[in-house]
Amino acid sequence: MNALELHGIVKRFGPVTALDGVSLAMAPGEVVALVGENGAGKSTLVSVACGLYRADAGTVSAFGRQLPPGDPRAAIDAGIGVVYQHFMLVGPLTVWENAVLGREPRRLGFIDRRRSRREAADVAARLGLAIDVDARVETLSVAAQQRVEILKQLWRGARALILDEPTALLSPQESAELMRTVRALAAEGRAVLFISHKLREVLAVADRIAVIRRGNILRAAAPRSRTDTAALADLMMGGAPAVVARSSPSRMLPQPGIVLRARELTCSSDRGLPALRGVSFDVRSGEVVGVAGVDGNGQTELAEAIAGLRSAGGLLSLDGDTSFHRSPAAARRAGMAHLPEDRRRLALCGSLSVEENLALGHHSSPPYARGFLIDRPGRRAMAQRLIAEFDVRTPDPSARAADLSGGNQQKLVAARELSGGPPPRLIVAVHPTRGLDPRASRRVHEALFAAQRGGAAILVVSLDLDELRELCHRILVLFDGRIAGEAAPDASDEQLGRMMLGQVPAVA
Amino acid sequence: MPELRTRLFAPARDPLWGAIAALLVSLLVSFLAIAVSGRDAVSGFADLVSGAFGGIGPLGETAIKSAVLILTGLSVAVAFTVGLFNIGAEGQLIWGGLAAAVVGQIDVPGAMVWSLAAAALAGALWGLLPGWLKVRRGVHEVISTILLNWIAIHLVQGWLVPGPLGAPGSGATVSVAGTEPIVAAARLPRLFFGSRLDLGFPLALLAAAAVWWLLTRTWRGFEWRAVGTGRDAARASGVPADRRICEGMALSGALAGLGGALLILGTEHKYPGVFRALRAGATRLQLVGIHPSFAELTQGLAVLLVAAPRLFLPLLARLRGRPAAAASDPPIPTVQP
Repeated sequence: MNALELHGIVKRFGPVTALDGVSLAMAPGEVVALVGENGAGKSTLVSVACGLYRADAGTVSAFGRQLPPGDPRAAIDAGIGVVYQHFMLVGPLTVWENAVLGREPRRLGFIDRRRSRREAADVAARLGLAIDVDARVETLSVAAQQRVEILKQLWRGARALILDEPTALLSPQESAELMRTVRALAAEGRAVLFISHKLREVLAVADRIAVIRRGNILRAAAPRSRTDTAALADLMMGGAPAVVARSSPSRMLPQPGIVLRARELTCSSDRGLPALRGVSFDVRSGEVVGVAGVDGNGQTELAEAIAGLRSAGGLLSLDGDTSFHRSPAAARRAGMAHLPEDRRRLALCGSLSVEENLALGHHSSPPYARGFLIDRPGRRAMAQRLIAEFDVRTPDPSARAADLSGGNQQKLVAARELSGGPPPRLIVAVHPTRGLDPRASRRVHEALFAAQRGGAAILVVSLDLDELRELCHRILVLFDGRIAGEAAPDASDEQLGRMMLGQVPAVA
Repeated sequence: MPELRTRLFAPARDPLWGAIAALLVSLLVSFLAIAVSGRDAVSGFADLVSGAFGGIGPLGETAIKSAVLILTGLSVAVAFTVGLFNIGAEGQLIWGGLAAAVVGQIDVPGAMVWSLAAAALAGALWGLLPGWLKVRRGVHEVISTILLNWIAIHLVQGWLVPGPLGAPGSGATVSVAGTEPIVAAARLPRLFFGSRLDLGFPLALLAAAAVWWLLTRTWRGFEWRAVGTGRDAARASGVPADRRICEGMALSGALAGLGGALLILGTEHKYPGVFRALRAGATRLQLVGIHPSFAELTQGLAVLLVAAPRLFLPLLARLRGRPAAAASDPPIPTVQP
């Protein structure tokens, strides 16, 4: 009996067929990976499986029972649990309160706090989830919040667990930890559907890999043959040439002029604690500098300080201008482009159109505007060019940006920041390819290289060490608000990992 | 003609049809309420309709009142565009009215234009205040605009109009007569013989067109919309969000202030001691012995139903010719951490 079985699922949105007769089954104790490029239909499939969407044809069953279509509650009752990319947690509540929220055990009409807390703690202990059930969720790291989501689903009795791009927000160490948890869940007899773009980790964790392309499952095979990642990527992309080849475009050596200079930079986190404690570095024209580190060691604050979004002490200059970071507007005028970490809050106006979002920031100058008027044909033409260039999958330039899939939102932001306006002088790119499939990642990387050839200084913050190695001339490692060390792009995972944990004194 | 029906009931038109449905339902409920109370609902409604639309005179009265409501409605809409709920149109309207009444007393060429400008300026300042408090001190605009309404009401109607700015009464220090009348040149010219309809109505329509143009055709308007839909994203993209919010609130206040000027320059011709109600047909209701509160019932219901557009969505989906269930696919719910 299968834990979760999708049979012949068809889902259309207007004229677009998102799923075209998809069938997929998972047995208890099995980890199935679902891979596919952005917009292939992965998220739609999840929404059908958990009852958020009603399929136009086909059935969903769990443990031999067919589920009523479009009924999320029935799906939860049948043991289907989803951990979304964007967590659904209540920050001010504790871990156990979040776990039981919505289905609180009651006693005499009140929440049975003792029982709730104990049950949540038991589930965490059984699976070895490192988590303090009394901690307030808003104080936890991203990885710990993800564990809370998993805990919540398990407490509710999920026996078929769907993880939607669970490693997108995690550092390599945290990803490895998650893999162990996934295997432990399978060992307990639960089925896990693991959705990802990262082929390497999929090969490491999955019993079977299902490839989805344009709404069709192409193959659901065991990867035990150690199919190399290139073959899988080919399948995802439909025979495109080896897109995940690690070869990078020819890199120009940095030019001598220093573009960005940081000296003894300090700033505070949102909670008022010191986030940067004296960071000094230079980025030269045509140089790509990577910033690695475990999430929460000051990378976010560093990027925001440079982008003018966070006030900072010490010296920060862009082409000699020491006040460019007093506001985002000033930084933009000085030639900074920014791909922020939190794109939904800091880069997109969700209810404006794709076209309008592509213009945002450059909207007052040609070709987007003429005088004080919007140049509507010019803006439309530019939007169409950017949409084509970065392969932003949208039904129409006037569709709402919020309705795009996460990966396509990222493509939109990358298109605007890297190609939408005058060539940038400095690019601050935080997780530039998060949520992107290999082909789209490649496109963003190529746009970064093009800017680099044009003499831009580029600072890349990423959790993906492979990405940093491919892009950067050198990698700075941040630990606890200081630069713990600097490494060449050929440094090993282990070397970098040690620096990320602060175990190596600063190297020249 | 399925094509016509699909076009007519396109989802983009849901707000329009929802409003019409809300109006019809509220009228129907009022009709039943009057009938239940034992009065003659049919002749009551006939009077309500003829009082609002029967002939050039009543139509003019309705247009005069709708002009003021168009401007205050625009005022709320503009503030909403930059992401703020301006509950303070009333206070801004009061200051605009007072400014028009005071400047309108000065006999200079172009007195009408000066009065309108003064009203817009006064309203803009009263609207700017909560905008400035919002961006500087984080004061929530719903609170500040409501409180500023009361300040405006008491300052103007409780002190300035009966006191220092009041027309000299019969020796008393407090006047119920309102301010001195404005000069003839400051009055809004009437458009037709046999109606009090004045330039105010076309001015309000012009203002609506201008606001539409500003918001959809200029990049300044685009920045306002960007700030209203994603303040942090707009700021991070280099839009001076705080300044745009203040600008939007100032324009919002200016529009409400103009609304006040229309009342003064069009029909009152001074700032009156007591403002009359903004209803067209309701007075006629009393002629057939129906209490005017039934008009308030209709109004209240209409507002309530317009504010709850989802009530009518299944009906509209059916009119569109598709089963109502088609609207049941929600986007994947997402919560910002």
